[in-house]
Amino acid sequence: MATSAAPAHLAPKSAVGYDEHSGIWSWIATVDHKRIGLLYLFTALGFFLVGGLEAVIIRAQLQGPNGTIVSAEMYNQLFTMHGTTMIFLAVMPLSAAFFNFLIPLQIGARDVAFPRLNAFSYWVYLFGGLFITLPIFFKVAPNGGWFGYTPLTTPSFSPQVNIDFWVVGLQILGVSSLAAAFNFITTIINLRAPGMTLMRMPMFTWMSFVVQFMLVLAFPVITIALVFLLFDRFFGTQFYEIAAGADPLLWQHLFWIFGHPEVYILILPAFGLVSEIIPANSRKPLFGYPVMVYSGILIALLGFGVWAHHMFAVGMGPIADSVFALATMLIGIPTGVKIFNWIGTMAQGQVRFTTAMLFAIGLVALFTIGGISGVMHSSPPADLQQTDTYFIVAHFHYVLFGGSIMGIFGGIYHYFPKMTGRLMNERLGKIHFWINFIGMNLTFFPMHFSGMLGMPRRIYTYDAGQGWDTFNLISSIGAYMLVVSTAIFAYNFLRSRRNGEIAGSNPWNAGTLEWTIPSPVPEYNFAELPKVTSRYPLWEGNETDAESARINSQEGKTPADLGIVLPYSTIKPMIVAFSMVVMFTGLLISKAVLFIGAAVMVVALYSWLLAPLEPEHH
Amino acid sequence: MKGKARLRQLAPLGIAIALLTLAACADSYPNTTFDPHSELGRAIDSIWDRLLILGTIVFVLVEAALLYVVFRYRRRPNDTSTPPQTHGNAVLEIIWTIIPAVILLFIAVPTVRTIFKTQAKAVAGALEIQVIGHQWWWEFRYPEYNIVTANEIYIPTGRTVNFKMTSQDVIHSFWIPQLAGKRDVIANRTNYIWFTPDTTLGPSVWNGFCTEYCGASHAKMRFRVFTVKPDQFASWVAGQQRPAAFGAQQGAPPPMLMPFPGARNDRAAPAPPSNPAVTAPVGAATASLASAGPGYTFPQNQPEFDYAKPHTPVPAGLKFTPGLTGNAARGQQVYSSAACIGCHTITGNPMSMGATAPNLTHIGSRATLGAGTFPNTPAYLALWIKNARAMKPGVLMPTLGKGEYDPQLKQKVTTGGLDDQQIADIVAYLTSLK
Repeated sequence: MATSAAPAHLAPKSAVGYDEHSGIWSWIATVDHKRIGLLYLFTALGFFLVGGLEAVIIRAQLQGPNGTIVSAEMYNQLFTMHGTTMIFLAVMPLSAAFFNFLIPLQIGARDVAFPRLNAFSYWVYLFGGLFITLPIFFKVAPNGGWFGYTPLTTPSFSPQVNIDFWVVGLQILGVSSLAAAFNFITTIINLRAPGMTLMRMPMFTWMSFVVQFMLVLAFPVITIALVFLLFDRFFGTQFYEIAAGADPLLWQHLFWIFGHPEVYILILPAFGLVSEIIPANSRKPLFGYPVMVYSGILIALLGFGVWAHHMFAVGMGPIADSVFALATMLIGIPTGVKIFNWIGTMAQGQVRFTTAMLFAIGLVALFTIGGISGVMHSSPPADLQQTDTYFIVAHFHYVLFGGSIMGIFGGIYHYFPKMTGRLMNERLGKIHFWINFIGMNLTFFPMHFSGMLGMPRRIYTYDAGQGWDTFNLISSIGAYMLVVSTAIFAYNFLRSRRNGEIAGSNPWNAGTLEWTIPSPVPEYNFAELPKVTSRYPLWEGNETDAESARINSQEGKTPADLGIVLPYSTIKPMIVAFSMVVMFTGLLISKAVLFIGAAVMVVALYSWLLAPLEPEHH
Repeated sequence: MKGKARLRQLAPLGIAIALLTLAACADSYPNTTFDPHSELGRAIDSIWDRLLILGTIVFVLVEAALLYVVFRYRRRPNDTSTPPQTHGNAVLEIIWTIIPAVILLFIAVPTVRTIFKTQAKAVAGALEIQVIGHQWWWEFRYPEYNIVTANEIYIPTGRTVNFKMTSQDVIHSFWIPQLAGKRDVIANRTNYIWFTPDTTLGPSVWNGFCTEYCGASHAKMRFRVFTVKPDQFASWVAGQQRPAAFGAQQGAPPPMLMPFPGARNDRAAPAPPSNPAVTAPVGAATASLASAGPGYTFPQNQPEFDYAKPHTPVPAGLKFTPGLTGNAARGQQVYSSAACIGCHTITGNPMSMGATAPNLTHIGSRATLGAGTFPNTPAYLALWIKNARAMKPGVLMPTLGKGEYDPQLKQKVTTGGLDDQQIADIVAYLTSLK
């Protein structure tokens, strides 16, 4: 090992100064992908509650005409932060929780390729998330919308600190996403167990794989757009300064070249989760597996060629409008194919209505609605009436709530036993599902009407007598139901961690690799790296699969018993992440803070890189 | 059995939804996109109809298939058998790839056709109206008639109107739901949208909205569109072309239209009028009415157009001394020596040449204040002058009332503020500007 060359004083002590298995330090210093996955899960659920609260205040304000619960300024901060929080701090990290927890288990690996980089990604996300979230408690939160259109966000029109938090915060979060994406790509390419060919990978891992490439390709574009804006705001450049002749569409193109793939970054992991839940609860392999793989890749590819459908009203001219319209319509085909294949998986199966399955069926039902309304504004003339109205709000909430969030809830119920060793309460789970399902439709379906009846988006209030009152009232009632359903979920989640029924290694009789190992998963994952001969080793595997499963299902062995070397726990990635956020914060406060942050970051980074990952192998 | 019980539990909810839907139907929908009154609106609506029909068919078929499969293949208790382990079916995959493709073809063809039809150059002789977006109000110019106004447009039925738009600041978007789709209003760019209000329309008013988020008062950047008969329009034009109805200096020069602040992407620009400042009023009707009394204005307080009358509540604590009578002559003096003239123009008042705020030459003839936020009555106008910043978040118009709290500067107006009598005088002056 190269680590033997490390100077003695840099070599970590073999016995760390704290208990590695419990207590808060075991979480702060962990490099175990499962614990990092859980950290992502808890943190993202926390931000999900914050984003949900922002949404409820929005709905309370719009419950009736000329609402006065919050001021215009506060409302603008709330809707900006609701979007930013839900996209960057809730749905993406909830997906990341599953990437972290599941990918190594599904491909038969001991951890991700770069465990410390993985910890770094998490800490950057946490500190970056706090950086962008905390300002709202001081009424200085970003207020330019999650899309941050220039020139509104340029210093000429938003001189206050609000937008600074947004520009810098998104840059910080981008670091986290990119580091994680490279990590997972490397993991999936290099760490698959023997026999785990690409076309045997579980569909969740496949969709995750596709998403990582999308992240790697999409985030640099927003990074560049944000660097321009950051330079405009802090160093006096004029990339977006209209008085200096800037074209306001530069930002829009850059933003949506990132922003549209981002939509698929948000939905494909949920598609992956549902593609695990439906076969497990139908006792049938996924219908049309190769088609599901190809359609996922096709959605991702096409997703990079449709960005300007967010811009049909900007006056791009008939040729550009037509090209982007046709490209957008094309995406409907692979998406439809996915829906049909899920239905095909259930057909002739034995559908079992677990809570996870209800959420998966809910996704199929609701995403279909979002898909159809999506086709409705793929047509630019029709979109000229729909864009920037509540019709669009309805559409993308059917996609993101009806799609991503339903899929993620399903994933939580399905994988909770693998994460904790205990089952979530199914009765409470079903109550959660039904209130959630009804509340969701009550909130968002009427928005189709309020939008087509002329209600613009992002307005902090509306006048009486416009024909929107009833629809808004129904939407607000639905939102209050969602509060109730989420509270039930939170209670169930917290209670089941301690008191849930013991799950066993495979409570759902599922067929994929992660169900061959004990629940909760031992820190080394697989006592012996499995040899894989089929897509569903527990269903259709031969003796080789069965033998792997038998060895790996044994509980109570320590890594030492098995001679498995695990990476050292370390807080260095966290220190690097923290000092990086301090460095960025310096932009807003003073150069001194910036330089101190940078200095600590460099020292901590060197210290991290010079320390060996794990003990020497013997 | 269990399913039935659940159905019974859901029944009250279903009834509630049905009642709410009925209640919703009882409302009227003054901003509906389903009842268009122009050729552009109808072109869009016909595509919408097609989308709605195809979308509904797809929705019903997919959800029915899903429900059928879920219930037909639900797991029976104690059934431990293994279902057939099918992995896919190539024929099925091809079928359900082709079907959506064919449906999309039925959408794509009329879509592209309509795009090219509606984005062609407007017909010659169209009425050009220049739209200039400001935070948070609309400047409208009629170069053909040398008129500048704000937040309210009059257009004649049966004549194509071509909106030429740009912004002075952030991006806005111009939308009259019942007449047309949206077009973004963008600095350093020039955009167009054109349509022809139906000849059959009686005099009507339509609500317009800014639909691109543009900052604090985005929600209060509204406007009104009055579709009127051609002779009414000619009368309105004649009225608007005259200098201020009160206190205008004799022989005051006609207003010069500022050049359109437009843009380099002006690919479809129709030829501008040769020299807008000297172009004579166009049209025989206009000429004959040019010297008559105040021009046509759309009559206010018609119950069927109540939706166009703002209901924004006045902020708590903003009061005006009751019973004051304003004097228009005194008001003109106060106005002309106060900050007002730095930003507003009143043609005929040589002191008032500011160009950053709405043109007030005929403010007395307008229906609303603050970009469709309040009715234009003396009471609201007085409050607006006293403390516009309390009336509408973020506005540039300063708080002028003596002792009033300015929410942007976060302090009270002490020196130079106007007392209620002075404001009443200004109100008298402005309301006389019909």
